[in-house]
Amino acid sequence: MTLFTERSIWTMIHGIVLGGSALLAFSAALYCMWSVRTADGNDSAARTRCGHLARLMLGLTIIVWAMVLIGTYVNFPPYRATPPEGATDLSAFPRSLLNSNPETAWLHGFAMEIKEHVPWMIAMLMTAVSFVLLRYHSDLVERPRVRRTISAFVTIGFVLTAGVALLGMLINKVAPLA
Amino acid sequence: MNQRSQSLTRPNGTAAAALLSGAIGAFAMGLFALSNEWGIFSAPTLYGPAGGVSGRTTFAVVVWLIVWAVLHRAWRAREMNMSAIFIASLILIALGLLGAFPPVWQLVG
Repeated sequence: MTLFTERSIWTMIHGIVLGGSALLAFSAALYCMWSVRTADGNDSAARTRCGHLARLMLGLTIIVWAMVLIGTYVNFPPYRATPPEGATDLSAFPRSLLNSNPETAWLHGFAMEIKEHVPWMIAMLMTAVSFVLLRYHSDLVERPRVRRTISAFVTIGFVLTAGVALLGMLINKVAPLA
Repeated sequence: MNQRSQSLTRPNGTAAAALLSGAIGAFAMGLFALSNEWGIFSAPTLYGPAGGVSGRTTFAVVVWLIVWAVLHRAWRAREMNMSAIFIASLILIALGLLGAFPPVWQLVG
């Protein structure tokens, strides 16, 4: 018996490795932004932290794009595969397995439908944030309004990523890609 | 002119263009999802095994990048009203999320 199949390894890379790393990086980024919220242009420590934040967000953006692309092009195809005519064991066909039971059908019709689109929004928003941080770097200390917009984007990204991760966990609990 | 004084004279238009285009990309993603569900426009499938989501997401990314390039070119030397960009971005992101929210799809048909 194989402990981990190739599909389950990709699922773990997508959800645990990349999803977990993204949530950790979001937490660190939010803390970093909070720590410079009252800083002015003469605060050298805050300028240094903004520099760290730029590198952190670049890493986070790469993680989010990897998570999104693996989710869409590696994990999603086997999830939505159509079972052969007359198949009774649907365990290898998660979408069909979820839809076969009215109590779990919402995990496809609601949870997976959200997971198909919302992570792409997160990736685009975080790319924009990374670009601005890398472009303006520590000088964002002197631009509170740009900082406020960036903080809102990162907060939204964090909440959405946590929500999408929860939905993915529920789907994987009922119909794992094994 | 040192690096810091250069940055102080650098307009915020570059940041405004990047952030607003990100929000427009999120809005486009929701719009493509909604228009597909309502039968208004279905982006073609670009990768068969992944189905229609491959087309919808690619189209949204293309819209995002085009808008970003256009806004960047137009705003890079300008000082923009970041409060307006902030509010517009939040509205666009909210609308995008609504478009990707399955209960909204069921409002029609």
